Order: sequence, then structure tokens, then C-alpha cells
Amino acid sequence: MFKMRILFEKKDDAAYISHLDLMKVLQRSFCRAKLPVKYSEGFNPHICMSILSPLSTGYRSKYELCDLELVSDGMPEEAEDRLNRVLPDGIRVLKAYPSAEGLAVAKIAYSAFNIELEGGNAEDALRIFEGDVFFEKRSKRGSKQVNMKDYIKSLSFSGTENGMLCECVLAAGDDPLNPSYVVGILREKGIVDANSVVRYTRTAVLDCDAKLFS
Amino acid sequence: MNDKLTACLERVRKPARYTGGEYNSIIKDKSNIDVRFAFCFPDIYEIGMSHLGSKILYGLLNSMDGVWCERVYAPYTDMEEQMRQRKLGLYALESKDEVKDFDILGFTLQFELNYTGVLNMLDLAGIPFRSADRTSLSPIVMAGGPCVYNVEPMADFFDLIVIGEGEEVMPELVNLYRKAKKVGWSKQEFLKNAAAIGGVYVPSFYDVEYKDDGTVKSVTAANGAPKTVKKRVVADFDKSYYPDRFIVPSTEIVFDRAMVELFRGCRRGCRFCQAGYTYRPIRAKSAETLKKQAEALIENTGWDEVSLTSLSSSDYPELNDLCTSLVAEFEPRHINLALPSLRADTFDINLVENVQKVRKSGLTFAPEAGTQRLRDVINKNLREEDLLNACKVAFESGYNSVKLYFMIGLPTETDEDILGISKMVKDVIYTFRQYGKNKARGVRVSVGVSTFIPKAQTPFQWAAQTEREEVLRKQRLLMDSLKIKNVTYSLHNFDSGFIEAVLARGDRKLSAVLEKVWEKGSRLDGWDECYSLDRWMQAFEECGIDPAFYANRVPEKDEILPWDHIFSGVTKSYLWSEYQNGLSGRATPDCKAGCRGCGALSLTGGGKCDV
Ligand code: SF4
Repeated sequence: MFKMRILFEKKDDAAYISHLDLMKVLQRSFCRAKLPVKYSEGFNPHICMSILSPLSTGYRSKYELCDLELVSDGMPEEAEDRLNRVLPDGIRVLKAYPSAEGLAVAKIAYSAFNIELEGGNAEDALRIFEGDVFFEKRSKRGSKQVNMKDYIKSLSFSGTENGMLCECVLAAGDDPLNPSYVVGILREKGIVDANSVVRYTRTAVLDCDAKLFS
Repeated sequence: MNDKLTACLERVRKPARYTGGEYNSIIKDKSNIDVRFAFCFPDIYEIGMSHLGSKILYGLLNSMDGVWCERVYAPYTDMEEQMRQRKLGLYALESKDEVKDFDILGFTLQFELNYTGVLNMLDLAGIPFRSADRTSLSPIVMAGGPCVYNVEPMADFFDLIVIGEGEEVMPELVNLYRKAKKVGWSKQEFLKNAAAIGGVYVPSFYDVEYKDDGTVKSVTAANGAPKTVKKRVVADFDKSYYPDRFIVPSTEIVFDRAMVELFRGCRRGCRFCQAGYTYRPIRAKSAETLKKQAEALIENTGWDEVSLTSLSSSDYPELNDLCTSLVAEFEPRHINLALPSLRADTFDINLVENVQKVRKSGLTFAPEAGTQRLRDVINKNLREEDLLNACKVAFESGYNSVKLYFMIGLPTETDEDILGISKMVKDVIYTFRQYGKNKARGVRVSVGVSTFIPKAQTPFQWAAQTEREEVLRKQRLLMDSLKIKNVTYSLHNFDSGFIEAVLARGDRKLSAVLEKVWEKGSRLDGWDECYSLDRWMQAFEECGIDPAFYANRVPEKDEILPWDHIFSGVTKSYLWSEYQNGLSGRATPDCKAGCRGCGALSLTGGGKCDV
């Protein structure tokens, strides 16, 4: 048995594929690419795979990771090309390598995002995040009052043609911060309009030293 | 992707339904295209993407040079709201270009409650509803699908309608359109030429007059259009076009799997079943062809399931051999075989076990009626012993759940027939207690009960739908007699069945009602949460139309029916004799015992049915 890690990007139409659907999309692509996938035992066998640090529906990503179990002893030949020939529009494999060469999943600590916003002033926006920002954070375990500062590693705003670009590094892993909270605050404070267009793109996944997780 | 669409997608449920970009969807270079075809499905993505006929025509049209066929589905209510608010016109999924700029819009009419969906899509596209209000050659708005056997309530909205199978006639039509565009024909000239193609119905060329009592007085064809439009069928079904790849959705749909089509038509002749008559003559594909097609689809899609579809799978002549070889090929690759539409009288447990090796699912049978007498009336030639025997065998081999489908409101039905349903269900449970392999686990029987809807071009086109109060009484009677702990049942909502019945045997006078009810907010009438009977009743009233005239009336023997100028292949006299047989409780043996001369073979110029 062998575990392969796949680094891929997800953009355009493919951004709107939900996490569960993306699992299926990838599984079918593995079949089309004829990779020697491993099936689970039991009543309803399924392909053994997982997507690391999954994103919300609608987010683009330049840095998606997936671990796939194979029945082969090593890397399948030309795995990248084989996959890229059969993936739907917007999903493209950047690299495939043995998982063992990468870090353990538990090392994931941060995700870096670019948030493109319509309207707003960069200085006003930045000022909001200078101090404490308390908000209700929801998770599977219920919701709790927290300070956004504790979840932000770095955050910056710059002006663009029709608004702002927010570049931020936010907590990932066990207790992640969804970047929509950042936008929620901007909307709440009237920096951007509630009805405006927002585009989220994950640019990287980082470890606890803020080094690229691979 | 433009900002308007992005803004919409951020605010709707399941946005992947509205993006396109799925694997195997087809993108062409616009500069090489002379006919842009929008294949419109008047229901939501999950339903439309599950429909086999659409996949066939999508592949076929896109196999033509210079033609680009794209998909369009009805947006769900949240998306519609966003689109209207942001003034985003109805667009096709592949190019995201607005549908109003396409050459041809082809709607498929799968069931009557989708009709308001057609109007809503036209409105979202900014295209006038009525054919008469669209004067230029583009866009042509056309339709096809099972509802065309009585499409009269929608006749005023379409420029032309394809009667029957599209595999041959669609390319002919598209090529004619291409010529029309090149030569610079008017819309009228194009339609005149189109009407000369076999299977093409141009409703505006048929003038319908009514009598004072509301029935049809006459239908007169003009502009050289044929007096009756004969259904088109592919003569050599085995060799007819079939795609080697389907679009693989990136989000969940209803039937998320590969499909191959065993045969068209049905030898059984259940008298309520429209498909059973209108898909005749019976033509099967060879096992060899099916194996190749299944293999190609799996190879090109990565799906883990293939379904063998038809109206009654167990009637496929080489079913055992086909399944055995497919299972041998697919099982080691973790690919499941799905075999819907099995009959209890030819039930073969070895086959089912073999097929369900990879994944076990439940068993489903459709006795339709609770007594032998009534099953003879509807010609569902299934004996209770056969059903119980099938259950016995299945229970013995470890199954412990079964689904049973029945209909109520059938012609000649009495309370005894209703109570017969509960008796049958109890007998199934008793069979389990006797033979169940795993008695401790208990048995689960789910009973689905729908209401009979008389459909055009069937023997029961002369039957009335049972009125509401009586149906509700019968539903209560059934429920009271079925209070057993192992049984769950689902009752079909009568109210939407009533509108379905009105439209199924409706005439052109109903087009005004359709416009009115759309105005009042009807859209996705097939969805309980969107459907409102009140809205329909108000629309009938405002248009001065009595819906009972269509749903609950028994037409006379020699009355001209609104759909008589559409010929499905089965003659009216055959349907009448079957109706009479039904009323007197005489079953008709199925076609395997010999051809009954229904008339369908006239469509293929003779030969014989594959039974
Ligand atoms: S009656 Fe004859 S023609 Fe009609 S479906 Fe049966 S076998 Fe075919």
C-alpha cells in the first residue's frame, strides 16, 4: 500500500463544487485516469482518500491537497498528466508526490487567502482590525464569543481598480477561521456593501511556523 | 464568469447547478458555428441531468459540425429571484451566453406539470410566449418528449413539435434550419418546409374548431401539412446513435450513473400506461451492442454504476446472459449494475443476487391494483401468487424489505379493490413470517399509492379521473385498513394529479389558463413546495374554464379527441377495443404470445416486434 499526495488548484466554475461533491469529482477522475486506487472493506466499498483542510463552496484555491491510497508500491507513472487529461474544467493538478515526502496532516496551522472586494477604502478597512474584534464564531460544537485577533496571523488591505484586495493568513486546522468572517465584519461596519461581489481564493496552506505545508 | 452571475451564485443553494464546466460538457469555437441550439429542460438541474433522452440528443447534435448544443435548466426559486433582481437573463451552461440569442430552443416535455416551467424559462430569457408573437426566423422554439402525444394545451407556444424519437429527425431539422438561415427564408417558409419532414408537427398549420359543448368539431390542416402527423421512430434501434460519453455532473443529481437502453416499447400493454403504447413498436438492442455501450460509458465517465433501463427490464430477451457478462466485467472494478423495473412474475433471484453483488439494494414491485379482477381491467397481468412467490424467494435469500406500488381511482374500482391492497400487503408480511431468513430483523414493506390519471393515446383515454372527495375517501379507507407496524406508506398528492389530468387530456383552450397561472406565480409545479391548487382554480375561473370537463368527463366513442391528429402508431380502434376489454374485465395476453395488431409496426413499414 502506498499513499500519494496531490496538490491541485480549483478555479472558475469548479470553485462552486462543494466539499462532498469534490470528493466524488476526484474519485471519478481517479477512475478515468485508471489509477490503482484502494477501496475500503465492507458493505459499501469506497475509494480511500481525503481532502486536507476543505474549503467552503464558492472559494477558489491555488492550493488544494488530497491524500489518496493506492494498491501499488509506489507512484503511478505520469500521475499528473493522466489526471490532468480527465479532470473537469477549473481543476488542475500541479504536483503529485508520495505523502511520506510531505508533512503530517496534523501540522496544518494556517491558510492564506486573497479576498477580492468590491468598493471600500483600504485604510478604513485596516483600522477595524487593528484592535480587538469580538464576534460569534460558529462551529460544529456550537457558537462562542471570540476575538478575531487570536485567529489572524497577518492581514493587509490594498486598493484595486474597483475596490480592495485583502491578503490574510488565518487559523486553519482544528479551530479554523473562515475568511467570510472577515468580510462579515467589513459588511457589518459598512466598509463594503452587503450586496457586493466577493471572491475568495486560497493561495497557500501553512504549518505552525508559517512555512508552506506540502 | 461575469459579476452578475458571481453575485447570484454566492447567494443560492447548490450553486454548482448553475455553473456548467462538468467533465464531458462540450465547448466549441463560436466562430465555426452556424446553428446554436439551446436544449431546454423545464425542471431543475438534478432532474434534467438525469434524463437519458437529453443525453442522447446532446451528444447527437454536438456530433454535427457547425452545430453547438448547450444545456439550459430551470433555476430553482432562490436562483430565479437572484436572476430577476440582478437582471441576469436565462443563459446556457456551456457558454453562459443568453438563450435569447440562440437559433433554436428545444424544450423537452416530460410531464404536464412542467408546462408552466416552459413559460417561466421563456420569460426569464425575454422571449415572447406565443409562436404568433415571434415573427423572425430566430429563435425557433420547439418541443419534443413524451407529452407530445397530447401537446394541445401548449400548442400555441411552440413553432414546431417533434412527435416521436429524435435520433433521425433532429439532424434533419437542424440542417433545414441551417439552409433557411443561409438562403434567408422567413420563419413561415421554414415552418412550411419543416412540416414536410416526417414526425414534425407545426401547430399553427392546424385550425381547431370547437362545438358549443366544448368538444372538438374539426381540425383542418393548412399549408400542405399532413392531416395526421405520424410518429417518427428509428427503424434500426440497435444501430441508432448512442453517445459513448455522458456529462459527469459535479454535484448530486437524481440518477447519477451510466445508463444503457435495453429496448423501447413494452409488450405488456397495461391500459393506463402511456409509455407502454407510445413507445411501440418494441425494438431491442443486442447484448453485444449494450456491452460495448456500457463499457465505453464507464471508461469515459468514471462512474461506478450502470443502469439497464427500459419499461420492464425482465422482458429483455437476453437479460440473464447480458447481466452475467456485465457483472463478470464490472464486479472486480467495483462497478455496480442497477436493474430497475423488474416484474414479480418473471422474478429471478439468482439474477438479482448476481446483479447486486457489489451493493445490495431493496426490491420493488408494482402490482398497481389490489384484486385480480381489477388487475384484469387494467391489464396488469400479475397474479398474487407470483408476487408472493417472488417475495418468498427473496425473503428466503435474506431480503427483508420490499416496496410495492399501487394506484387508486382506477376505472371500475370498488372498495373491495382498495381493501385488496391491504390484504396483499398483509400476505406479503405473512410470507416473510413464514419464510424470512432473518425473522428477528423484521420485515419492512413500503407502499406507494398514486392516483390514476387518464392519459391520451392509451385505452383509458376515454376514462374519467375519480373526483377529489371520492379519492380522499378511498385513501382514508386504505390507510385505516393498513395500520400495521411494519408498513409505511406514501400517498401521492391528489391535487397535483388533478391538474396533470386536466392538462393530459386538454385542448388549446387551456393555453390561456397556463399563461394566467404563470402570471399568478406557478413555476415548478412538480415540486410540492411550489405547487398551489388554489392558483390553478383561480386561473380556470378567470378564463371561464371548467377543469372537470377535462379531468372527469368520459368522452364519446366517436368524439374527435383534441389529439386525434397526432398518430402514435397504435390505432384508435385498437385502443377502443382494449378499453372495452378493460371495462368487461378481460385481460389481453402480452405480445410474446402473438402480435395483437396494435398498428405500431406500420411506423417501421412492417417487420416484427422484438419480444
Ligand atoms: S401488438 Fe404487435 S405491433 Fe403492437 S406492440 Fe405488440 S407485437 Fe408489436
